[in-house]
Amino acid sequence: MNNQQPNSAQPAGDFCRRTRREFLWESGAGFTGLAMTGLLTVDKFFANQANAATSSTPFVNPLAPKQPHFKGKAKSVIFLFMYGGPSQVDTFDYKPELYKLDGKTIPVKTFGRGGKKNEGRVVGPKWTGKNYGQSGKWVSDLFPNLAGCVDDISFIHSMMADSPIHGSAMLQMNTGKVLSGSPCLGSWVNYGLGSVNENLPGFVVMLDPTGGPISGAKNWSSGYMPASYQATIMRSAGDPILDLQRPATMSEASQRRFLDTLKEFNSEHQAPRADNSNLAARIASYEMAFKMQSSAPDAVDLSKETEATKELYGINDKRTEDFGRRCLLARRLVERGVRFIQLYAGGAHNDDNWDAHGDLVKNHTHHAGRTDKPIAGLLKDLKQRGLLDSTLIIWGGEFGRQPTAEYATGTGRDHNAYGFTMWMAGGGIKGGTTLGQTDELGGSAVTDRFHVKNLHATALHQMGLDPDKLSYFYAGLDQKLVGVEGAELMTKIAS
Amino acid sequence: MTSPSRNGNAPRSLALALALTSAFGGGQCLSAAESNPAGLEFFERKVRPLLAEQCYSCHGAEKQKGHLRLDSPGAIRAGGESGAVVVAGDPAKSRLIIAVGYQSEDLKMPPKQRLTARQVADLTEWVKLGAPMPVGEAPVSAIRKEFKITDKDRAHWAFQPVKKPVAPQINNGKPPSANPIDAFVLAKLATKNLTANASATPRELVRRAYYDLTGLPPTPAEVEAFLADKSPRAWELLIDRLLDSPRYGEKWGRHWLDLVRFAESNSYERDGDKPHAWRFRDYVIRAFNADKPYDRFLREQLAGDELATPDADAIIATGFYRLGIWDDEPADRELARYDSLDDIVATTSQVFLGLTVDCARCHNHKIDPIPQQDYYRLLSFFQNVNHYRNGGPTDEIPLFTTPEEKAAHAAKVREVERRRDEVQASLTGLETLFRERLAKGETTPKLESAPHRDLDELQFRYYRDTWDKLPDFTLIKAETVGKLASGLFDIGLRTRNDAFGFVFEGALIVPKDGDYTFHLDSDDGSRLSVNGKQIILYDGIHGEGSEQSATVRLSQGRRPIKLEYFQRQNGLGLTVGWSGPGFTRRALSASSEPVRAVKNKSPKSDFAQLIRTEGARLLGVEQFKNYQALKKELEQLKPERVSAEKALAISERGATPQPTHLLARGNPALAGDVVEPGFIEVLNTPAPILPKPAPDARTSGRRTVLANWITSPENPLTPRVMVNRIWQHHFGRGLVRSTSNFGTQGDRPTHPELLDWLASEFVARGWSMKAMHRLIMTSQTYRMASRGNAAALSADPTNDLLWRVDPRRLTAEEIRDSILAINGTLNLKMFGPSIFVDIPREVMAGQSQPGKGWGKSPPEEQSRRSIYIKVKRSLRPPILESFDVAETDRSAPVRFATVQPTQALGMINGGFLNEQAEVFAARLRKEAGDDVTKQVRLGLQLVTTRTPTDAEVQRGLALIAALRAQENASPEVALKYFCLMALNLNELVYVD
Repeated sequence: MNNQQPNSAQPAGDFCRRTRREFLWESGAGFTGLAMTGLLTVDKFFANQANAATSSTPFVNPLAPKQPHFKGKAKSVIFLFMYGGPSQVDTFDYKPELYKLDGKTIPVKTFGRGGKKNEGRVVGPKWTGKNYGQSGKWVSDLFPNLAGCVDDISFIHSMMADSPIHGSAMLQMNTGKVLSGSPCLGSWVNYGLGSVNENLPGFVVMLDPTGGPISGAKNWSSGYMPASYQATIMRSAGDPILDLQRPATMSEASQRRFLDTLKEFNSEHQAPRADNSNLAARIASYEMAFKMQSSAPDAVDLSKETEATKELYGINDKRTEDFGRRCLLARRLVERGVRFIQLYAGGAHNDDNWDAHGDLVKNHTHHAGRTDKPIAGLLKDLKQRGLLDSTLIIWGGEFGRQPTAEYATGTGRDHNAYGFTMWMAGGGIKGGTTLGQTDELGGSAVTDRFHVKNLHATALHQMGLDPDKLSYFYAGLDQKLVGVEGAELMTKIAS
Repeated sequence: MTSPSRNGNAPRSLALALALTSAFGGGQCLSAAESNPAGLEFFERKVRPLLAEQCYSCHGAEKQKGHLRLDSPGAIRAGGESGAVVVAGDPAKSRLIIAVGYQSEDLKMPPKQRLTARQVADLTEWVKLGAPMPVGEAPVSAIRKEFKITDKDRAHWAFQPVKKPVAPQINNGKPPSANPIDAFVLAKLATKNLTANASATPRELVRRAYYDLTGLPPTPAEVEAFLADKSPRAWELLIDRLLDSPRYGEKWGRHWLDLVRFAESNSYERDGDKPHAWRFRDYVIRAFNADKPYDRFLREQLAGDELATPDADAIIATGFYRLGIWDDEPADRELARYDSLDDIVATTSQVFLGLTVDCARCHNHKIDPIPQQDYYRLLSFFQNVNHYRNGGPTDEIPLFTTPEEKAAHAAKVREVERRRDEVQASLTGLETLFRERLAKGETTPKLESAPHRDLDELQFRYYRDTWDKLPDFTLIKAETVGKLASGLFDIGLRTRNDAFGFVFEGALIVPKDGDYTFHLDSDDGSRLSVNGKQIILYDGIHGEGSEQSATVRLSQGRRPIKLEYFQRQNGLGLTVGWSGPGFTRRALSASSEPVRAVKNKSPKSDFAQLIRTEGARLLGVEQFKNYQALKKELEQLKPERVSAEKALAISERGATPQPTHLLARGNPALAGDVVEPGFIEVLNTPAPILPKPAPDARTSGRRTVLANWITSPENPLTPRVMVNRIWQHHFGRGLVRSTSNFGTQGDRPTHPELLDWLASEFVARGWSMKAMHRLIMTSQTYRMASRGNAAALSADPTNDLLWRVDPRRLTAEEIRDSILAINGTLNLKMFGPSIFVDIPREVMAGQSQPGKGWGKSPPEEQSRRSIYIKVKRSLRPPILESFDVAETDRSAPVRFATVQPTQALGMINGGFLNEQAEVFAARLRKEAGDDVTKQVRLGLQLVTTRTPTDAEVQRGLALIAALRAQENASPEVALKYFCLMALNLNELVYVD
């Protein structure tokens, strides 16, 4: 009951044994009160109980910081989600042979939106590239700024996923499962570690101005876990969080008066019910909401950033302004202890994201163009502030793209889950490295093949969580992000 | 619940390929090579070190992925979970070689790093040599642990028959309670020297009863009426009245909807609407209000369509099967079908039986005595269910409230069919006449330019994928769909020459009653069906050249015809023709040759054009007019258009289900032994007797067999599980806290005798749920106060012994509905299509197409109870979401009750609350007049259902005064914020 760890795995043979906390949750005792005991140290819990009688209980936060399984390298994750699926051979996975095959129809097994095919017309990579940095990593001309950061980045060219269809592939990249209804990586991180800033959400999603991704909120849902672990959508302009803005006819002073009156009523109601810590928690939650109204706008207020910083992120250029603002905001959230921040590069449908079925050149030029400088700026800025070592950056889409064309004409490429590139940086990941390979066409992973769940396992590991131990009891089973079978880490790049 | 391993990295198992050639037995193939010294040396020098270096980590002592070990000759001979990995002398059939050669996309070993060509060659050579290995090495311990159900397993409390215990005698100096529940509870408390709390106050009780049975607060008048009723039966009468209220079904129906994962959309990219799903919600509300016996309620949901005379509700109830998530474009369609069956198995076993049978999809249950066979035995009851397609005749079933209505509808359909055939006969006659006259005529145009066409209203669906046999095209999303005006089956519309398929459907015009012979040739497989019956099946990979023929008797008229076809690789072709009375062979298909690669287009029939220009001349004006009128009439004669109300419901594929196989790791590619329908083995129930339905029956009757077993009074789980759920929603927790898990890792009941007593009462009282509410609520136990006391809190802080009634937070729906009730605008209209409440733009922005799939209902509709709000899986109204509405993708047996600052933000700043506060203020002004004190007093009374103290009224007045002074707020604005404050009170949100 006084287990401080998120949820230690049971020894073998004791597979599905329930912890006290879990049974309380499942029995509907809810999240606060007694059910909170598993999430808090016993001392703190009883301290709260004692305080309850004096009606000055601090807010008992389900996202209160928790001890990791071991000391992790990273404290926060920024997931730069390239929604739609960037093409690996046009970005980071150099395939010299493919240029020569441009236009030729060759036998190659592919599986994309258009079903399974045994041959296809090669679309040669549309960008040339150069080798950069001490690591000599090849980067295409799409990313002139990011190319300068390759020695901080580890590229994984051998990623694989189970589905080449957006809906299920998005769910898998976010939740590990192609079936709808499971918690996201960000939910798991917050479940495991809590948040060190109680005035901000622990899991933040920032959407593309063109719209959300397909399946909407399912992509940041906490699934079968309580809603406390789902992401909060944050906006870089306007009201940063839903309902953060007071009604127009209510000033801060009036709201203070309003909340004081509410508290008087609630405290009087609570007095004869002192053992019900939910009542105290709810009283405290209004105070926290009050504080959030000032702390959240402060977090998104970029006016205190220097011109140089804004320039670094490309905020002064219309093309890069939106993603630049969001990247800078991500850094500010990391500084404030937010655990997991996910930025969608691309939204809505078709060419509003990286889903280049028609004109690859136009599509990727647009999406790389608006993200290259902001992402490079983010990496450099985190590094110069000494935050890169403790911030894990993940870059990638839900899958990659085929080396061959989808249609009879044009440069568009269909989806590809057999092999694609993602990269990670910071948070203890060894920079200047490259992991795995695709075949000579860049279509299928052939060496050091890694599934999405290996990526998830590695991300949890960097955060100090053991992917095989981080479990949540639901529907008769200790559910894990990486599934019951577990998943190996990307040990060559993790530390 | 666990997903089977998919084609990923580590789980991409050798076993997958093993299944492909599972005909090969284990070790006997190897014996020839065992005494070959050179071969043995090859094994020791080349093969064993290679296996050790590359394979042991996953197929050795530590791990046995795919149940395969490769670290000893015995283990290699034993093979993996579905058979041998090495076929001596035959590398092509040895799955070990297929795997390391990366020959199959589904099977690549080692998964992360391909072996060198040299290493692959060594292994291949070794297999060619006959796979020599030493004999006599100690075999490794058995890899597959036999799953044995022990006496200890059978002795688990929940598997024992329900026996009605005698209520204990209580000697506490008080008169014994008439309600045995109290005796069970008091006896347990006595063992710990604890006493039960005294009764709650009448005011607390009336509020508790209203919320527990209706999900709404009592009005002040209703409270006062109850307090004024001094009769000894006042409490019972209150309960009866509330159980009779239509609000009861809206409250308790919601609990059931949580359990059966009710939602009206499918999730995934499109999150499309499920047709008519709201009828299921209405059915559940009606069933609770009518106190439908629980066994009947389950029977209808499981097999209502198989009842002798199913009424509309029995059909709607089977929508139960259709409520789950559905991916309209899954990466693996066969797996998706099993995912859908898994959803049914999981929901059925957890909700009705309190067992997590779904944990045994991929392997034997890790804790409970549930072998993997149990999972597939249960699944086989559902095997014949048509896979969900989100509409169409297999998901949407016409509804009739009376047998007369049904008969009338059938008669209407028959009449349309009869008239259609009659019209067709006249048309055929006229067209024949036209052709004859045209042929005789010397003038152009020639008949050759308009050959005879026997197919009408022909449609095609085009698919791109690779198959070896005809797939179930109904499970696949077509790439292109269109009409074929040419009236010929035409594969010229393909976009490529390999890996594609077509389905053609239309009407075959049969000129007169008689025998007709059909001819079919194809490269590769095809199937021809007429009148919904298969005429010729010519499946598999083959070339053209051996034409298949079959003769059938057909009656005159328009007969549905369907042709399915696929082509894999190399060569293609499709030739279909027919002959019959009065005509020699005529083509039904176009030439296969050209790839026209156009979408939705095909050459037009010239006959229509010809008869348009020449008809009047050759047939005469009158006859031609008649012809045109008949043509027009035919357009309207569509039997499927005879209107009927429809329900989202189940259908099966006919009388005979396909066999169910045990799937290793839940993977459909690893089909093992055939499994017959059966019940949970540990319960020792005799094997089911399966019905033998008539060949033309629409269902197999299996689901009725399952429903009979689940709802049998002898079933130890069903009544226990349901009375426990009823208890759960009165006391905040079940007697078994894990309400959907009565297995060995579930919680043991805190009051086992009480649970059994209630379960036997439940059955004895005809499975009446209302009887159980009465029984529970009339106990003294239910009427206890919720207040804590130091002694009990320290002895039993979690109230395991029931020394009090736990206070509870309202559910999301109760909070929203209460606010509407308090401000006097709650619209109690029941039933019908779901409503759409306003959702803030910021929340809509999370959708890829903001606002898609969400409508806007008029204000009075938006004031209806929350149960009528559209349940769209990817978009929930914030007030419901934030207060822990049920997650809908799987069964939700319990609601969370979180406390979060984002709830507070929504409650003080959110649009809904601020609007409702204004409405509330308007009510106060209307009912209390301009006197602010009266307004405040009434407001507090409506929110708390009690008379506020003077101090409270003063506090409210002080807030109003302060707002007016500080902000120069108008009286209206100040009153609104007082109302907003009142709606935020803990006293509103928590029930004692």
